[in-house]
Amino acid sequence: MSTRTSPGIQAAERGHDTAAQREREDALLARCESLVAEALRAGADEAEAFATHAEKSLATFEKGDLKLAHVDEGSSIGLRVFKHQRLGFAATNQFDTASLAGVARNAVALATASPADVANRLPDARPIVQLPPLVHAGLDRFGIEEAVDLGHTLLTRAQAFDKRLSVDGANAGVSRVAQAVHTSRGVRAVESDAMVTLSISGMAIAGADVGGFHYQSDAVRDPACVQAALHQVVDDFAGTSVGNLGAQRAPNSYQGLVLFSPDAFLDLFVAPVLSAASAIAVQRGRSALAQRLGERIGVLGLAIHDTPEDLGLAGAGSFDREGQPARRFALVEDGVLMGWLYNGYAAAVENRTSTGHARGGARGVPGLGAHAISVAGGTGGTRETLLATLGRGLLVQRFSGSVDPASGDFSGVAKSSRWVEGGRVSGPVRETMLSGNAYQLLARIAQLGTVAERVDGSARAPWALVDGLSVTAG
Amino acid sequence: MLDSMISGSTTSLAADPTDILSEALAATPGGFVELRWHKKETRGLTVEKGRVDNATASEHSGVGVRVLEQGTFGFASTDRLEKGAIVRAIDQARTAARASSRARRERVPDLPEVALARGRFDTPGVDETRGRSIESALEMLLEVERGARASSTRVTSASTAYAEIYEEKGIVTSDGAKVWTRTVRPEFRVIAIAAKGGEMQRGAESVGVTGGWECLFETRSPAQLAEKAAQQAVDLLDAGYPEGGRTEVLLSPALVGLLTHEAVGHTVEADFVASGSCAAGRIGTRVASDLVTLCDSGVSEYHVGAGGTMFVDDEGVAAVRATVIENGILKSYLHDRESAARFGVAPTGNARAWEYDDEPLIRMRNTYIAPGTSSMEEMIAGVEDGYLLDGASNGQADANGEFMFGTREAYRIVRGKKGPLMRGVNISGTAFDVLQSVDAVGTDFRWDLGSGHCGKGQPAKVDAGGPWLRCNVVLGGRKS
Repeated sequence: MSTRTSPGIQAAERGHDTAAQREREDALLARCESLVAEALRAGADEAEAFATHAEKSLATFEKGDLKLAHVDEGSSIGLRVFKHQRLGFAATNQFDTASLAGVARNAVALATASPADVANRLPDARPIVQLPPLVHAGLDRFGIEEAVDLGHTLLTRAQAFDKRLSVDGANAGVSRVAQAVHTSRGVRAVESDAMVTLSISGMAIAGADVGGFHYQSDAVRDPACVQAALHQVVDDFAGTSVGNLGAQRAPNSYQGLVLFSPDAFLDLFVAPVLSAASAIAVQRGRSALAQRLGERIGVLGLAIHDTPEDLGLAGAGSFDREGQPARRFALVEDGVLMGWLYNGYAAAVENRTSTGHARGGARGVPGLGAHAISVAGGTGGTRETLLATLGRGLLVQRFSGSVDPASGDFSGVAKSSRWVEGGRVSGPVRETMLSGNAYQLLARIAQLGTVAERVDGSARAPWALVDGLSVTAG
Repeated sequence: MLDSMISGSTTSLAADPTDILSEALAATPGGFVELRWHKKETRGLTVEKGRVDNATASEHSGVGVRVLEQGTFGFASTDRLEKGAIVRAIDQARTAARASSRARRERVPDLPEVALARGRFDTPGVDETRGRSIESALEMLLEVERGARASSTRVTSASTAYAEIYEEKGIVTSDGAKVWTRTVRPEFRVIAIAAKGGEMQRGAESVGVTGGWECLFETRSPAQLAEKAAQQAVDLLDAGYPEGGRTEVLLSPALVGLLTHEAVGHTVEADFVASGSCAAGRIGTRVASDLVTLCDSGVSEYHVGAGGTMFVDDEGVAAVRATVIENGILKSYLHDRESAARFGVAPTGNARAWEYDDEPLIRMRNTYIAPGTSSMEEMIAGVEDGYLLDGASNGQADANGEFMFGTREAYRIVRGKKGPLMRGVNISGTAFDVLQSVDAVGTDFRWDLGSGHCGKGQPAKVDAGGPWLRCNVVLGGRKS
């Protein structure tokens, strides 16, 4: 198995890891241990080192042709220290003795300059439930030549779909990442992951008609799933892009029902909830949901979970940025707000334990966020059923705009959108603006589609029919 | 070759990194090779409600290697500035290029012969900013954040942040570039949250420059920026929503910057043009009102400190001014060396990489509309029914020129009179249609997008701005 945690807490298992992978993991952990020791020698009271090692083979295509073959390998390490409950952080990608000593000195110097905060303490080590291996053996043989082949297949399939497609960019590659964390409070964990990534972007062009830009991507761990993912990425991209041709202005402005794709639903309605569910946002008085814990914030049946155990999503992992266990977390259940997301700092403010939501990499202080969001499907049926329920109005596949997390107000352009008449798509529309308030509209979700679809390999959500939107025709 | 332009102090310099790059290059003869040693040091501080959330110093450095082999590019990198490691990275890049060349249909043409830069190029403010203690910045952030919270009983939370990016690059190419550059880009931002009756509103101000601390706060002090953010958050609590629809607007310099960057700039990047953007095939044709002249430049034109200032790009080409639109006529795209070869023009110095392990892409630098002749009073007086919009948030644009960007504040104008504050909205339009509708361009000029980043696979520090401008757009208002 690819995850190892604190000795004495859980036995190490290895599964598919290779000798090279094990060597990398051991080296990363050793570097973390060494840097923590250096920090303590430099005067830190507590220290946490987080290190990553990444290998990448990426083929980049542009204008329908190969642009660049990119092979890369590198490591980074970040050190967080507390000295008299004062915070300091430093990071580097240089692993020589002098550089690491400099990192320790810089972190301690920054801590010396900062004001004290009683919540500045590292979390204790806690048992980590190991996920099955994240690294599939079949990816060992995947390198730049395989990346080029996959990218070439992406392009060929897109070009065969419709000659009017203009592929602006396409990428195919594999990344292998190992991450390790060690703290002076006994946290010690390491995990490796590997994924094939696919993306394609562009538009369809017919004479003077340049269709709206579209983008599709996926990330998969299992080599056996790569071809199916590739077909899905290309077909979704191509179908939507060609469908964007001939866009007209929407027939009229209105206030009412709009059908959202899983992607647009996540951007507009779920992202603000995640922001407002940050315990730090609540503690600092900037969460619009601060007074609503335990209350119904959405319609019956709305369920939003963080699912780090879902190996089908890119954010899967056994532990968070602070080495705390990452576990399934019910954020919203049947429309009711169930809890806040905590990292070590937010938990310390309230003298409780972290929910395992420290996020980030080696180059910054741990932040706070979800791993792999999953919105449960509802009872609304298929996309076609939802179109029939909508009857007349707007279908939005992508939202290009902004949501103010403080107020929930949003305003932006409905991209790759379609006008619906008589429960069927009648054609693409352009320059159509959407506005409303995300928090208020959660309670006006009319229907959620039955199936939660994978979105970009990083989340799951169903199609959603929402009432009360302001739609402005251009 | 371009002459060296050195400014600022020359103290505290490390050894010239280009010497070791040249040695590695000499050890691996062959086709085109581009070596870029790139060190990025960042210092970042964030304060919220009296607590320090972030106090960071980080360094990320190494050598990016790009080769042109068998008609295609290969890229590899090493985190070591050592001859042996660089030679190995060159070999890896060549291997990658050869392994992938079979998938290349159209071979990369020979890169155009241009005057490649040689020498030292420092932007102003490097030593002043790096010499300033982090303690003084932290003290300022704590004081200003306290002041923002104390400014009104309705302000429930405030945060301040300071960041500076120091970059040192050494660029050596097999066809003659040999450059050492140093740049520093500090930025400051303040956010205030105000609440009333369960509703929250957010006010935000930010500033970012290429230059020193004095340059960063030349126009407004940190306290003034915080006061504005807090006042904005409080005022927005009682503000109404603009009505949606197509309307006449006055855009502030920040929004003109977003328009030039998002709506026009991306569509004239030559890689996007080659993919069929709405600017393709339109060189020499009218795309804007004759009041519009739009440029992208590595130089900070009109006013010092533009956040995307650079003298040499990451291919070793001088970052010259590119006049994209001149009096309404499309004149030029933005190029790197490869696209310049394909289009048969000179490169414009727009190749930029975010870090050493990123390959250079065609990116904007400082993009702007040149000042015109109308006063602010004349422009407001000329609006029968419309809005004055200010405060930029995010923005995006499509290949077809359809754009969206966010505004923080809106004021209704009726019969030439400016009304009370309303909530900001997102605006949309099609780039060249909006530029064709421009009927007044102001005299004042301001860079106003120096904080934040542009995203295109990689981030990039850019700036944009211009004068006030009057045009027609679609507003995404609450009522329709």
